[in-house]
Amino acid sequence: MDQKSRPATSVSREHAGVDLSVEIAGLRLRNPVMAASGTFASGREFADFVDLSRLGAIITKGVSLQPWEGNESPRIAETASGMLNSIGLQNPGVGLFSERDLGWLASQDVPVIVNVVGHSVDEYVSVVERLEAEPAVAAYELNISCPNVDAGGMAFGTACAPAAEVTRSVRAVTKRPLIVKLSPNVTDISEIARAVESAGADAVSLINTLLGMAIDVRTRRPKLARVVGGLSGPAIKPVALRMVWQVASAVSVPVIGCGGIMTGEDAVEFLLAGASAVQVGTANFVDPTATMHVLDGIAEYCSASGVRAVRDLTGALGT
Amino acid sequence: MSCAGFDSATHPLLERVEVLRNERVAQGVGLLVLRSPRIAAGVEPGQFVHLRVATGADFLLRRPFSVHRVAGDAIEILYQVLGRGTRELSLRNPAEVMDAIGPLGNGWRVPAGAAHALLVAGGLGAAPLGMLAEQLAQRGVAVSVAQGAPSAERLVARDLFESVARRVEVATDDGSAGERGFVTVVSERLIEHDRPDVVYVCGPEVMARAVAEQAARASVSCQVSLERLMACGVGACLSCVVTTSTGRKRACVDGPVFNAEEVCWDGSEVPPRH
Repeated sequence: MDQKSRPATSVSREHAGVDLSVEIAGLRLRNPVMAASGTFASGREFADFVDLSRLGAIITKGVSLQPWEGNESPRIAETASGMLNSIGLQNPGVGLFSERDLGWLASQDVPVIVNVVGHSVDEYVSVVERLEAEPAVAAYELNISCPNVDAGGMAFGTACAPAAEVTRSVRAVTKRPLIVKLSPNVTDISEIARAVESAGADAVSLINTLLGMAIDVRTRRPKLARVVGGLSGPAIKPVALRMVWQVASAVSVPVIGCGGIMTGEDAVEFLLAGASAVQVGTANFVDPTATMHVLDGIAEYCSASGVRAVRDLTGALGT
Repeated sequence: MSCAGFDSATHPLLERVEVLRNERVAQGVGLLVLRSPRIAAGVEPGQFVHLRVATGADFLLRRPFSVHRVAGDAIEILYQVLGRGTRELSLRNPAEVMDAIGPLGNGWRVPAGAAHALLVAGGLGAAPLGMLAEQLAQRGVAVSVAQGAPSAERLVARDLFESVARRVEVATDDGSAGERGFVTVVSERLIEHDRPDVVYVCGPEVMARAVAEQAARASVSCQVSLERLMACGVGACLSCVVTTSTGRKRACVDGPVFNAEEVCWDGSEVPPRH
């Protein structure tokens, strides 16, 4: 990247005195702020705005064994304080992903967590097996929670047995840290979290989007071509926070919090509720520098309140 | 096809932009002038900016708008008040500061050796064609314009097109300006009689498709600017995909301008509402 194209608008302050590093599933991260899957592509699209090496980690767009076309358009709808999406995990498949994205990511000095999707347990396993040979991969995040595909995705994440089965099967083929991303579209998210923990997950991330819907009354048609989609953004933050709090007390592996985080204070709420790290998702669409603002906000909070290490915030909720 | 863009690609940036003017210029259409020195310096014809129409979580997503033209350190945006976002945009006053990302997208391309271009604008489709008309004329390319609108009150950018084009022909649904009927009647006539080297189209998708088919029948190269609902604007979210002969492409970075022959016109796309 030439000098001219270096991010001119990203915030680049030092966070003197505050230890922002965290450890998740054996991964040492320079800070707890990750870019959430599906909102950051493979990072390259944000390199004009963000110094990627300042991120705790990048979680890639979901990667499948074969290329997936995704859903018909319209794929998004804006809703009150949020948005619905039904992208449908469009991706070029693990072959092209490795060739085109991983090589570039390897030179970016940021831990790369690959989000893995599949129609079947075998497909999840095959994707991970393909990626085992790629040195640029720091960890995997199993996506068993996407509400926008007919087979696979959320089908694995809404009952304990399939969630455990896919986790156990992938666990068997990798020693790398294994994160499982959970769906909020369940009666009791804690029991799913316990099931994947027992099956070998090193950490859980939550929440993925909440299943929702919007209608255009003028046309009397759904606003999404697929009728239903996943709700994200500030609208879902209270739900996400409650679930992180519940899961953090139900499992002993680290919890990565996600859902409507727009500011540093939002992120601190998740840490206090029991998260060890956070993912910033929809905010990247609104402001491509959102991850940096969240990071700086966390550091400022720590400085202002005398917190010397950000990991001291995890679960420090006063009740 | 051997093509050249207007300038070398500029990296997009976030810029705080100041509203200089925001006024009604046609029925239901506003002209927003934003002081944005950095975007204005780099934008090419056909590119767009991604604007936050208001702050706060109520208008969470940005809205994409074509840059109509550049005037000094300002960019001009034509917008139609269609939904809550554009209604909100119409409320912005001079001296207010907004947040823009740009320049985004690929812009129009000029085939090597092109001497005569036909621009076909349907309604607000005139927006991304203004700067193109100006720059083609500066390069010595003869510009013809076929422009359509529902009525005379809803025609936009007339002065600009009249000042740089050697021929402007108008069609309105009610006959209140130009001939009565669709712009596709005008474009068909101009493609057949004038034999342009390239056709540039922007407007409702059904119209763009009809013009693309006219150009294909006459073996004239044709580019279309397509509109989609968009979230990020930078290529990450995959909201704005266009189905093409080589798979689904992103309107925000692979477009908004596409070669007409690569577009799969499936007709499933409903008009986006901002």
